[in-house]
Parts: sequence; C-alpha cells; structure tokens
Amino acid sequence: MVASHELHLLTGGYAIDALPDDERAEFEKHLGRCPSCAEEVRGLRETAARLALATAITPPPQMRARVLAAAPRTRQLPPAGRVQLTARGLRRLPLSRTGLTGGILALAAALVFLLVTNFATTQRLHQAQASSRSVASVLAAPDARVESLAAAGGGTVTAVVSLRQQEAVVTSAALPALPASQVYQLWVMTSAGAARSAGLLTVSSSGTAEPALAGGVAPGDRLGITVEPSGGTAQPTTTPVMVMPVSA
Amino acid sequence: MDTPATTPDLPDPGRSEGGGQDPAGLLALVARGDHAAFETVYDQFAGPVYGLVRKVLRDPAQSEEVAQEVLLEVWRTASRFDPVRGSASSWVMTIAHRRAVDRVRSESAATAREQRLTPGPVAGDDVAELVETALDRQRVRRCLGALTSLQAESVKLAYYAGYTYPQVAKLLGVPLGTIKTRIRDGLIRLRDCMEVT
Repeated sequence: MVASHELHLLTGGYAIDALPDDERAEFEKHLGRCPSCAEEVRGLRETAARLALATAITPPPQMRARVLAAAPRTRQLPPAGRVQLTARGLRRLPLSRTGLTGGILALAAALVFLLVTNFATTQRLHQAQASSRSVASVLAAPDARVESLAAAGGGTVTAVVSLRQQEAVVTSAALPALPASQVYQLWVMTSAGAARSAGLLTVSSSGTAEPALAGGVAPGDRLGITVEPSGGTAQPTTTPVMVMPVSA
Repeated sequence: MDTPATTPDLPDPGRSEGGGQDPAGLLALVARGDHAAFETVYDQFAGPVYGLVRKVLRDPAQSEEVAQEVLLEVWRTASRFDPVRGSASSWVMTIAHRRAVDRVRSESAATAREQRLTPGPVAGDDVAELVETALDRQRVRRCLGALTSLQAESVKLAYYAGYTYPQVAKLLGVPLGTIKTRIRDGLIRLRDCMEVT
C-alpha cells in the first residue's frame, strides 16, 4: 500500500487522467477521506480546463446538427441521490465466527449492488466501486474479526478488522448526534503514540455511521474516534470517545 | 477547415462576459431538458471539446466521434453537474479529456495511433489545429513558459498527448517519482500563474 503522503502527490496525475488504472482506483479510495486532496484536485482540474480551452478549434459543421438531433432521443439522468450505505447489516452481524461469513458476504454483495445501481456517472461509479470493493474485501477476508465497544458518550462502535489486509471497516450504532460544527473523526493510533486520520464518519440521525475504511492497520494499533470541528483536523484535539485496541 | 473558435466564458475577471449566459446556469436548464439551453451550451463548448479531443487523438474522424459522445454526455448527465464542486468549463473538459484518454488507451486506438506514426501527406487542417483562441493560448503559453522544461514537458505529454505518468517517465527517461511530482508541481504553478480559484 502506498503511503498517504505519497498518495497526495498523485493529485496532479489524477486531475489530468495520467494515472494507470490501478493507481487511479487506489487514489480514488484515498480521495474519499482526504478533503485537502479533493480540494487540490478541484483546483488542478480548473487549471487543466484552461489548458483545454486554449485548444479550441471549430468542429466539423455537421457535428452540431448530429448532436442536437441526438439529444432529444437520449434519456437524461435524474439528479444524483445520496447513496445511503446503511450500516444496519453490520450492526446485526453476530459476533461469533459461525454464520459470520455468510452475513458478511451478503452485506458485501448488497453494498456492491447498492453502489452499482445508485451511481451513474462513470467517475463516481469508479470511485464508489473502488471504495466498496475495499470495504467488501475486508468484510470477506478470511481473517476478518468483529469487535464492538461502547462509546463514552453513548452508542456502540463496531469494527471489522483484517490484519492480513491491514484494513478495518468501522461503523456505529446510536452515536449521539453532533452540532453542525462538529464531526466524528476516525484515527489509527500506533503503539508509538502517533495518530493518523482515517477520515470523517458520516453519521445518520440515528447515530449509524456509513462503513468507513481505515488502512495501514497493524497489530498493537488502536482505532480511535474523536469529536472534531467540522472538516476534521490533522491530529486529534479531544479525548477519544472510543479507543479500540487491534490485537494480533 | 478548422478555424479558431470562441471559447466559453470563465469566471475570470480578465475576460468579458461575451454571450452573457452563465454556463453553470445553462447546465441547470439543460438538466431539466431545455433544448434551447443545450444549443447554447453546444455553441459554447463544442470548440474546446473538439479541440481537446483532437489534440489528444489526432485523427479527425475519431475525434469527431468522441467529441459528439462528450457533448451528448453533457446533455445526459447535466443533472450531475454541481457548481459547488467546480466550474462548468472544468466539468465539461474533465469529461472530454477522460473520454479522449479512454479512447487512446483502448487497444484499437493504440493500433490506429501507431499507424498514424507512418508519415503521410500533411493535411491542411493540421496547421489550422495549431491556430487556437488567441487569448487562452497566449496565457497558457506564457504560463507554460514559466515552468521548468521538465515540468512543462511532463504536463504537456500527460494532458495534451494523453499519456500516463509512467509512459511520460519512459519517454523522457526520468524516474517515475520525479515525473509524478513534476506533473503536480507544474500544474500547481500553472494554477497560480493563471490565477485559477
């Protein structure tokens, strides 16, 4: 897995479609949990658009009639609805190993189905597929382990950890709602005391978090959730509401 | 055959509002199935879309086909355009570039491109291809000129020729990691030079 700071260097290549497919998928996965990367990509795409405008030439005249005639015969996409990846399935997972695999596979299939049916633009589809593939692959990993812990302010946090894949999928139930100015942020904390952001949790009004993927998880690390100002922070600034050890 | 075309307005204080119709507002109308708005959008973007696709693909017939697909894609997916996430130009040109490189990287196109490497008669419109909208072109040239030559080469090969950064690295005989950073640094300097917000 490419280190996070190296992934950040891919903003330029990504903005101008210069990444090979595998790196593109990996970067899109990263993009979902790196607001500063997304902002940089946005700016660099604006820049690339300037490069594009400088190439303008008059298209063949017959093209206009053809495109304008084809439009009325082409069905338009409805506005994108937000895809709700409910974590209900996760919450219901039995914590025993028996029956777990079936539930996980069903959930993984459901996630992929949801994403494929709900996203229409290719770009978002790629992004969603990349992220759902990762979530699904953790959930289906042969060494996947489920842990649940109560959060300090109420609610439960559940994580599915695959040490083989060094990844964890985190979700929650009944986490207390936060004011608009605050967010729940997920961290991977190493035994040496360093904390690395794994992104913000998207929590519904019922306190259920959309499955969030944390990468680079090693034995001895801890998964932590803190309450941070909206937009998140580079390092935790509050006492975690939940710390879950990742055991070997 | 090809002559310079006008380009759409950008939220750029240095440019006049031209036709006076804001592309983002037009896209919102297109999303509701407004054909008149789509005609205007076509007129604003067909030149840059065709120009960019042609720059990447070279082949006029293929470029025309892909440019048509791109413009129909704009019609089809206009509801997905979100002005908060970027300008209309950026949205349309991102679709156009993506479609063009997808075509380039598909196998059939690769073959066609190799065939075009064999010298043939120079068509008159290859010259016209170089005649670009004066203002944009001048600004881009000035800003590209402010980059290091490696930055400029990397950005041009990646964006205008549609190469992946490993391909650019190979072409220039420079390590992968270097090209990765040069593309990003180059684009950031271009962004600052063109005062893109």
